[in-house]
Amino acid sequence: MKEQPILAAFVLVLLALIPSFLIAQQTKNQILIRNATVMTAARGTLENTDILIENGKIAKIGKNLRAEPGAKIIDATGKYVTPGIIDCHSHTMIDAVNEFSYSVTSMTNIRDVLNPTEIAVYRALAGGVTTALLLHGSANAIGGQSVTVKFKYGKPVEEFIIKDAPPGIKFALGENPKRSNFPPPPGQTPRYPRTRMGVMEVIRDAFLRAKDYKREWDDYRAGRTKIPPRIDLELEPLVEVLEGKRFVHAHGYRSDEFLNLMLLAEEFGFRIRTLQHGLEAYKIAPEVAKHGAGVSIFIDNWSFKIEAYDGIPYNAAILWRNGVIVSINSDSDERMRRLNLDAAKVIKYGGVPEEEALKMITLNPAKQLGIDKRTGSIEVGKDADLVIWNGHPFSVYSRVETTMIEGEIYFDRQQDLARRSEIEKERQELEKLDINKAPTSGGTPPPIPAEYRKDHHDNADEMPEIILQGGNN
Amino acid sequence: MKRISSLILVFVIFSWAKILAQNVGSIAITNAKIITVSGKTIENGTIVIRNGLIEAVGENIKAPADAFLIDGKDLSVYPGFFDTNTSLGLATPSVRPTPSPSPEVLIQQASQQQQPQPSASKYPPGLRPEINVIEQLRPGESQFETQRNNGITTVVTVLRDGIFNGQSAIINLAGATVAEMTIKSPFAQHITFRTLSGGIYPTSLLGTFSAIRQMLHDAKRLKEWKTLYENNPLGLQRPEIDKSLEALFPLIEGKMPVVFYANTEREIIRALDLAKEFGLRAIIAGGHEAWKVIDRLKAQDVPVLLSLNFPKRTTTASEEADPEPLSVLRFRAETLKCAGKLEKAGIKFAFQSGGIQNYSDIWTNINKAIENGLSRETAIRALTLTAAEILGVSNRLGSIEKGKIANLTVSKGDIFSKERAITHVIIDGKLFEIKQDKPQTGKQSGDQPSTQTTQTSERNISGTWSISIEIPGQTVPGTLVLTQEGNALTGSFQTAFTGTSVIKSGRLTAEGFILSLDVTFGGGTFEVTITGKVSGNQISGIIQTPQGAISFSGTKNPEWR
Repeated sequence: MKEQPILAAFVLVLLALIPSFLIAQQTKNQILIRNATVMTAARGTLENTDILIENGKIAKIGKNLRAEPGAKIIDATGKYVTPGIIDCHSHTMIDAVNEFSYSVTSMTNIRDVLNPTEIAVYRALAGGVTTALLLHGSANAIGGQSVTVKFKYGKPVEEFIIKDAPPGIKFALGENPKRSNFPPPPGQTPRYPRTRMGVMEVIRDAFLRAKDYKREWDDYRAGRTKIPPRIDLELEPLVEVLEGKRFVHAHGYRSDEFLNLMLLAEEFGFRIRTLQHGLEAYKIAPEVAKHGAGVSIFIDNWSFKIEAYDGIPYNAAILWRNGVIVSINSDSDERMRRLNLDAAKVIKYGGVPEEEALKMITLNPAKQLGIDKRTGSIEVGKDADLVIWNGHPFSVYSRVETTMIEGEIYFDRQQDLARRSEIEKERQELEKLDINKAPTSGGTPPPIPAEYRKDHHDNADEMPEIILQGGNN
Repeated sequence: MKRISSLILVFVIFSWAKILAQNVGSIAITNAKIITVSGKTIENGTIVIRNGLIEAVGENIKAPADAFLIDGKDLSVYPGFFDTNTSLGLATPSVRPTPSPSPEVLIQQASQQQQPQPSASKYPPGLRPEINVIEQLRPGESQFETQRNNGITTVVTVLRDGIFNGQSAIINLAGATVAEMTIKSPFAQHITFRTLSGGIYPTSLLGTFSAIRQMLHDAKRLKEWKTLYENNPLGLQRPEIDKSLEALFPLIEGKMPVVFYANTEREIIRALDLAKEFGLRAIIAGGHEAWKVIDRLKAQDVPVLLSLNFPKRTTTASEEADPEPLSVLRFRAETLKCAGKLEKAGIKFAFQSGGIQNYSDIWTNINKAIENGLSRETAIRALTLTAAEILGVSNRLGSIEKGKIANLTVSKGDIFSKERAITHVIIDGKLFEIKQDKPQTGKQSGDQPSTQTTQTSERNISGTWSISIEIPGQTVPGTLVLTQEGNALTGSFQTAFTGTSVIKSGRLTAEGFILSLDVTFGGGTFEVTITGKVSGNQISGIIQTPQGAISFSGTKNPEWR
């Protein structure tokens, strides 16, 4: 009889605990990936390993992990898990690529022209890509401001942007900025510059102007002048570059130009964050390492224009051996979907270890973009940006099963397959509507074949320069 | 049934024509159903109009002895309808030179166009917000017949060139002089997210945003500088005089609204972002996908001038073409439901014709919106009081109330019923009797009266032409698809790198043909003029781009039957 009050109290405590337990469970939002081969891109490959995700972050990595009741369990037996792939050079989901009127277009910002409904984004997710650097084209010595996004397809555009990612800007050297001008209208001179030395002069001039501009503002802020200076959208981002707050992603091919650019940057007291394409970067690997630039390359694509003749597939291996952070990018909506295979080639060309090859599409681009604290590898505390593959990601026979960003699934092969009949039904219903029927008279013929599939990859053999507007890579 | 009823509707709309305009001192409409919009609908009442204003309205009003009487039996009286976005009253400049000039002339013209034109503004055409439509309006009310026939009494009119389209005005569609027509000028600054042509910055959407932004920053700074100088000029350089930037002052002060042309979700979001960044009072014009952005519109309290120019398929059926993308099919279907969804969400919206080709289709499409979830009451408000509220003239217009401007639209039967016919329009107290006469198609004003030459051509250049475009050092293949009806040409132009562009306007000329179209590549859209000649199955000519002239030649594809 004596125990009864104690028992009652015990029951009460238990009852009180249940709701709090339930709430805790709801807010934790757990996902448990079980029994996978986990390629961490940081601490080797772990067999038969579980990953516990809580509130979009990787909470635990280990064996026989337990999730709370209600957690989503994904059985990944026989499957591989890698970090989400990061594409360090993309022009996807943007409605404009080049502002080619001036040689310096740093006033433009890719943020203004994002198109989150671009289907290429979904296709990239199906290839395991979760993050990308969206760059301005290469028609200008100094191009527009870039943004780093996660492919949260279906979400409002502002949720794509990685808020704590350092801002970037596109530079371009060589043929594109010097030659990408349209044939000028009769009687008009072509846009300056027309030579590689002119490109360098344009960049130097811009930074000299940026320094003057900064001084003007410093004087005003210190009360030495009374009239507020102009806010110059062209020079603002260049001041940020000078202050080390904005990363320079410089498109180029030739080693001499890169050396020049790095020297110019050092003269102005900043560093080039990445050499983009960098087909000849292997020739100056120690200099690149010393400067501290990363290099973001195509693995085995060269000779598509004169300045790309000296490209070699061993570029990545040589740079890596010299301690340069290397990433492999797509510069193309199409190639973006199979960056895993481009990474695999690094093993073939130069014998780079498997994990280092994987890093070239995950942790290394994360480092180049300054987002490696939150993504790029499978480590506790990082965002759960994960890809589940049905086989080894470096096999041509493997494909992506599931792609998640911050613990949320954005591509799932089974869901995709299941939705196809639904979509076909919807299409049939929509096609029946009057508004979607072909006009009975006065219509225009539809495009045959279908419209040009957008692909920004530079291929001078196939695309005349005039149409490319200077190309993008 | 629905198809038949809409056919009847179209027929009824087409069958108004002859207008009898009357200037009478006082008008009384008796025994009519009066939809006041601001108050209760009066089933059987009288409206008295004097001196261009509503003198009295109600059930027990006696028509004055001197009034011109309209027997309102079977008539419904509405406040005059608004079309909240047009380019009416403008002398439309001839878009293309005629007759088709020789390539040499075209090249010469191109080089002349590049020369800086003397102007008071340091900004290129297209970035001149100081332009005010009112200075370019043609007086005279006969030009508005089509709109009045459709019950429209008041419109917003604005130029549509460039990025800053300039300041719009609210005008009544009656009056002998521009001053008489004007209700409010300027009303708003209009902005279109487009590029400039001729290789002038901005040539891409990227540059468009930075150009707008830079000018707004510069305007803010100039304003600050001016204030400093006005307070004490000693020791200060005097501020520049800059008409363009000064025209932006009322925008950044929040005194003048900014109408952004934005139809898709992302265009609307871009407009809202820009408005937020600079504290602008935004109005969205177009708004086909406004229903997708309801939360943002609400949060920023932004109304919509909803376009009735609903998207519809314009391409003919073809077995060879890819099926249309699902997103396009969805977009068209969802646009019909937009008004209903905005109503449900409590977003303020008014209707606009949106450049609709056949003006009377505004009624067909309002009815479509009603079929897709919009209430009749809100449809009426979107044509009247809500429009007046968004335009800031609801103290004078938009409802039938004593003292308001006498703008009224009178119809036989309910305005949305298929038996409806608009019988009278009263603007500023001036009566326009609309008589049903022989059928006539209503054309959007702003189009020139048909310039088609009377000589019908015996030539027919319809067909698919495979062409080679000569770019220095390159030959690019392309396809020109032409359909000829009379002297008019429609169709498309295609290359592998530009995709397909629909011909905006095209016609036969004395020597050949001339086509105008927008070509997109590299993120920019460029206006291109194609002039050429056809001889047998041979075609040749010049493609005039902002960057210069390119020649092409080709042959007609055999027709497979």
